[in-house]
Amino acid sequence: MSDLDDFKATYFDECSELLTALEEEFAAIEAGERDSDRLNAVFRAIHSIKGGAGAFGFSALVGFAHAYETLLDYVRDGRIELTDDVVVLCIRANDIVADHVKAAQTGEALPADYGIDEKTRFDALARGESIADDDDNGEGPDEFDIDFTPVMVNLDAIHASGEAAVDDAFDMAPMQIESGHWEIKFTPHRALYARANDPLLLFRELAALGQMHVRAVLQEIPPLSDFEPFAVYCSWEITMVSPDLTEAMIREVFEFVEGDCDISVAQVGAAAIGQAEDTVAPAPVAKAVVAAPSEPDDLLALADDEVAGLLDFAPEPAAPAPTPAAAVQDTFEEAPGLSFAELAETIKPAAPVIKAAPIPMAKPTALAAAPVAEGEEGGSRSNGVQSIRVDLDKVDRVVNMVGELVITQSMLTQQMDETLRARYTELVRGLEVLAQTTRGLQDSVMAIRAQPVKSVFSRMPRLVRELATKTGKKIKLETIGENTEIDKTVIEQLSDPLTHMIRNSADHGIETPEKRLARGKPDTGTIRLSAEQAGGNILIIVEDDGAGINRERVLQVARDKGVVAPDVNPTEEQIDQLIFAPGFSTAEALSDISGRGVGMDVVLSNIKKIGGSVHVRSWTGKGTRMTLRLPLTLAVLDVMLVKVGDSPYVVPLSSIVETIQCSRASFERVPSGGQVLQVRGEYVQVIDLAKRFDMVTETDPENRFVVLCEAEGSHKVALIVDDIIGQQQVVIKSLEENFERVDGIAGGTILGDGNVALIVDVQGLKTAIVHKNAA
Amino acid sequence: MTTLRVLTVDDSRTILAMLHHTLSNAGFEVLQAEDGKQGLDVLKNEQVDVVITDINMPVMDGIEFIRHVRATGNHQSLPILILTTETSQDKRDQGKAAGGTGWIVKPFDPEKLISVINRVVH
Repeated sequence: MSDLDDFKATYFDECSELLTALEEEFAAIEAGERDSDRLNAVFRAIHSIKGGAGAFGFSALVGFAHAYETLLDYVRDGRIELTDDVVVLCIRANDIVADHVKAAQTGEALPADYGIDEKTRFDALARGESIADDDDNGEGPDEFDIDFTPVMVNLDAIHASGEAAVDDAFDMAPMQIESGHWEIKFTPHRALYARANDPLLLFRELAALGQMHVRAVLQEIPPLSDFEPFAVYCSWEITMVSPDLTEAMIREVFEFVEGDCDISVAQVGAAAIGQAEDTVAPAPVAKAVVAAPSEPDDLLALADDEVAGLLDFAPEPAAPAPTPAAAVQDTFEEAPGLSFAELAETIKPAAPVIKAAPIPMAKPTALAAAPVAEGEEGGSRSNGVQSIRVDLDKVDRVVNMVGELVITQSMLTQQMDETLRARYTELVRGLEVLAQTTRGLQDSVMAIRAQPVKSVFSRMPRLVRELATKTGKKIKLETIGENTEIDKTVIEQLSDPLTHMIRNSADHGIETPEKRLARGKPDTGTIRLSAEQAGGNILIIVEDDGAGINRERVLQVARDKGVVAPDVNPTEEQIDQLIFAPGFSTAEALSDISGRGVGMDVVLSNIKKIGGSVHVRSWTGKGTRMTLRLPLTLAVLDVMLVKVGDSPYVVPLSSIVETIQCSRASFERVPSGGQVLQVRGEYVQVIDLAKRFDMVTETDPENRFVVLCEAEGSHKVALIVDDIIGQQQVVIKSLEENFERVDGIAGGTILGDGNVALIVDVQGLKTAIVHKNAA
Repeated sequence: MTTLRVLTVDDSRTILAMLHHTLSNAGFEVLQAEDGKQGLDVLKNEQVDVVITDINMPVMDGIEFIRHVRATGNHQSLPILILTTETSQDKRDQGKAAGGTGWIVKPFDPEKLISVINRVVH
């Protein structure tokens, strides 16, 4: 069943795209763009999700999506007004659809009544308005009757049997009637041919059901002088001989042409007469009566009584008028189970005419012109952005190879010493061009994997809305920088942490409207979600103007849980950061205090997983800011190459503020035995990398260097290294993938000379030390 | 008998993939398009024996697609099957009004799909 698995994978892939699209559409709809394009896109998304779900038998999803789709359809055609309430309901519905998709994917069952409230509201909405619009449904079939009128012309048949047929009129029974046989009268309308249906094919289907006798009724064919090329003159009378045949089986053959023909199906013979009259016949009669007046065909433009007469025919055969052999031979066949080729022969002469019949006479120019206009419009639209789908693995391979190319290129450049440079100017120029091209290639390749964070951000307005409803608070969400691009794998990991952070802000940060007013704040709280690129990192900031972290409570809980020793007095910033401390936050006891803590360890672990860091800063009564710093995991990093002991390390250039020679730096001792550095009146924590990484250094302390770095929240840290070698670009290799996560190290890289260097994680170093102190 | 060529038009990759699988297993040659406009482009350049089209699609929906097919070129007798969900009777009617030959109910059963195709092609 691997085929099915493949299809499912495609389906879930598609669902996730569609769900993202839905969120984007609703973000725009919420913002006031309530145009039909948006609604159509929403409808299509739900429709596609439903269609696929049906294919795999996800019936709960189908059921919900169907109810939702119906609502959307009504909104789309104006039966239901798209009020704010409806938008909110839809947004909630998207959520439920997403949950159903997830459940289908993971195989976890949702409660049987999941989404039942929403479904009930859909129904209520639909009922409330549904009376107004019953009239749109009927116009369909009529639109088509300007189209061509196929003709059944069989001149030979007219010559051979025309007169007799006319005399026979309609009450001529075609076949000897045997008990239990089915009699079918079939008169196609022009529309049947216009839709590329063909009586021949219907007969073929019937022939597969049992023995069949077909007789063409040709008496309607007028003299040549009156002949209208596009009228339908031919009808058929068919007798089916098969013991197992049911009316449903016969009707199914005519399923596609229902409404495009007059058809009656009746079972004949002693046993079935009553049934034929009571149950079988009335239905087709009713149908035919309705169809006839609307059909302008000559055949059907009969006076009412004529129509009635015609229709009487259906139940009539019960009173048989057998003209067996003569009539049958007269037309074409008597052999039961007539050979298909023979039957085809009788119809064929007409067929070419049907096919060649020109299309609409009256409207054709309008119709023909339309595609051109449409085509141009469509063309220009699709010329905007064209895209192809590529397996992510393939892109990864290219990214890796480009990485290797960058390293090789930088190695070549490093090998060029001054003498070589002087001697081979052409070679140097070539290398410069190569460097430039490599850089361009690298950027382009990275851009392939990059996606705007919009796809994650767009899910958040819904979340905030929900949280506001649940908590009874007034909250508005501002998003900034949603077009900032990050690597696709990072984006995929971003959704959960962001959800947690926003939930936290709404739950614990933002106060109730009353409290806010009492504090002199507007009653509506604001959560600001922003993304920006900062050097080699992406910063994602969730900021609220709520109450801030309740530090007393947090510290109390931390002490109770033994996260902070009783004799340690952490700084405010350290307390704030405690909410991420492992083991600190999962306890339920915290969920009902006004401080923070719920789920934040999840945030930290998820962000660490993608090599990022989280920093929190809070201002009592004013709000809280949480900053996610995410590396461009696959990106090429501009770094400073330094030496610690005998080993090379690299420090991301983006975090370096300045470098100072140790002899010129002013260190001061602090009581704990550590050192701080005074820079322009600010005291900065000092970390000796040699000590930190257990390296032996023989460099004279005076000759060592301070690399002043900026960590989260503009807090600085001073790294002491033995030597500064220079700047260069490196390709980040994940340590976690190849080894394991190491505190204080963000990854590894291969240098131009083939050596491996570790990338210093400035924030990680600082955080690790805070925790060490705290514990 | 020559291989029948089927053009499938649907914006859902899942459905396209499933149609492709079913139809090619049944010995049809399958062409694909993701919306009505693409479908028309295919018909401009390719000879096909039957079309299977979704209704709800971006750029050009199935109804409009069928109208265009019926109005252009030599496609008046090209069977066009509408791929539809079981409940959208009025869509089906619209599709029929536009010139659709028949319909396939989603989710489709492979055997039924083939039999429906056989019902409309010579």
